[in-house]
Amino acid sequence: MDSTDLALRAEGICFAYRGEEWVLKDISLSVPRGKATMIMGPSGSGKTTLMKVLAGILCPQHGRLEVLSQEVGKRTRRSLYSLIGYIPQQLGLVRNLTSLENVLMGALGRCGHGRVMLGLFPRHEIEQAHAALDLMGIGDKSSEKVFRLSGGQRQRVAIARTLLQRPRVVLADEFVSDLDLALASEVLGLMRQVAEREQMTFVANMHEPQLVQEFADQVLILDHGQIVRRFPTDGPQERLPSEVLQ
Amino acid sequence: MTLVAILLGIVLGDLGFFDVARLTKGLQNMGILTWEMLPPDASVLPVAGKALWETVQMSFAGTILGFLLSLPLSILGTRHLFSAPISNLSRLIAAGIRTVPVLLWAILFVILVGLGPLAGTLGVAAYTVGYLAKIYAELFEGTDPEIVEAVRGTGASRFHLVRFVVLPEGANAILTQLLFMLEYNIRASSILGFVGAGGIGFVMQVYLQTLEYRRLATVLLLILAVVLIMDGLSAWMRRRFLLTAQS
Repeated sequence: MDSTDLALRAEGICFAYRGEEWVLKDISLSVPRGKATMIMGPSGSGKTTLMKVLAGILCPQHGRLEVLSQEVGKRTRRSLYSLIGYIPQQLGLVRNLTSLENVLMGALGRCGHGRVMLGLFPRHEIEQAHAALDLMGIGDKSSEKVFRLSGGQRQRVAIARTLLQRPRVVLADEFVSDLDLALASEVLGLMRQVAEREQMTFVANMHEPQLVQEFADQVLILDHGQIVRRFPTDGPQERLPSEVLQ
Repeated sequence: MTLVAILLGIVLGDLGFFDVARLTKGLQNMGILTWEMLPPDASVLPVAGKALWETVQMSFAGTILGFLLSLPLSILGTRHLFSAPISNLSRLIAAGIRTVPVLLWAILFVILVGLGPLAGTLGVAAYTVGYLAKIYAELFEGTDPEIVEAVRGTGASRFHLVRFVVLPEGANAILTQLLFMLEYNIRASSILGFVGAGGIGFVMQVYLQTLEYRRLATVLLLILAVVLIMDGLSAWMRRRFLLTAQS
């Protein structure tokens, strides 16, 4: 595959937290543009760490990372923020702020420090934030504080925040793990729909094989910090090998 | 546990806690003092009330001034937002301020700006800065790193993070500590008049030195009333403004 067809490319990524053993060992992967890639693996296999490395939050000790054909180094990590949207496992929402305020944080990267520091965002950003909440089906919750929302509604706020950021790649770390299967499927469906419409690449850590089978174009299996299996599929609905489902 | 009990026994002995004659004499004196305080002399209410109002003003102004100064100091002292030299310097300044007790701050400001409530207010403000800067820096450092990472990932600057993550996430604890500080400062300010820094302390000192214990009793009852009112106000504000739902 041509490198211009790739959203993410990692080669020989190694990462260890300070003074500890390697969490990621020689990880190489390619994520095609506009596709949904899901990473599976047992707890402690390094999925979250890999996601943080791909998002530019953690800097690997070895290896090479390219996002949309741009090489990412220590100095260029900030440039990733406009390309990558990151949804952590607990969503990273500020509980004391409203849904709208949380969504507007997706626009902080292109807003200065003047009026925004007083909470006064540009009108077009506010309109887009409202539109993102409407798209997620929670437009009526815009002035509700996040701590009053249900789990599914919070998930939608987190996705709306990522949409407002307008990233090319969305990285989500087990962000539906707290939801029941039906609701998780609904949220992922919404995410996939938006990703296809906006031509975004979607990479997610996932525990639930049924969801992976339903939504993944490519599956990577991580174990002990290494990618041990890859299942490039021709699209969703293709059956995963039985060992993955087990 | 046994070791702690033995150690406590030795320390209490050193401090005179097992001097039965002295303790008995103390109890007798307490009885006499209480008897001489009754009934409280209400004729001093206008004088004591005015002085107490000055104490409340000193505490309120000093607490708010100290709070406003403590916020930037604590934000700069937050290690995951600012580099080690900046946060360490900020924490060192806060620790230095905190080392000096409020009474000594009052004496210092009496020397600097002269007798009266201005010195007391500045003393309360200085003490509040040291205390709140430490508490708030610890609080801000405890902000959920996942939220910081998520918002930083949108391209937010560290000032955005302070405004949109650190302060809103810590809002409950910020208010709780501020109210606690206000309550504490009202009690602490009551003695600042002993060193000429204004407020009810000066009146108390005069009644103590002239052995007018009935008048002193009135002053103490007034302070108790104000502290109880403050407790009630704090409880109301907590109920009114703090989060009540769990995540």
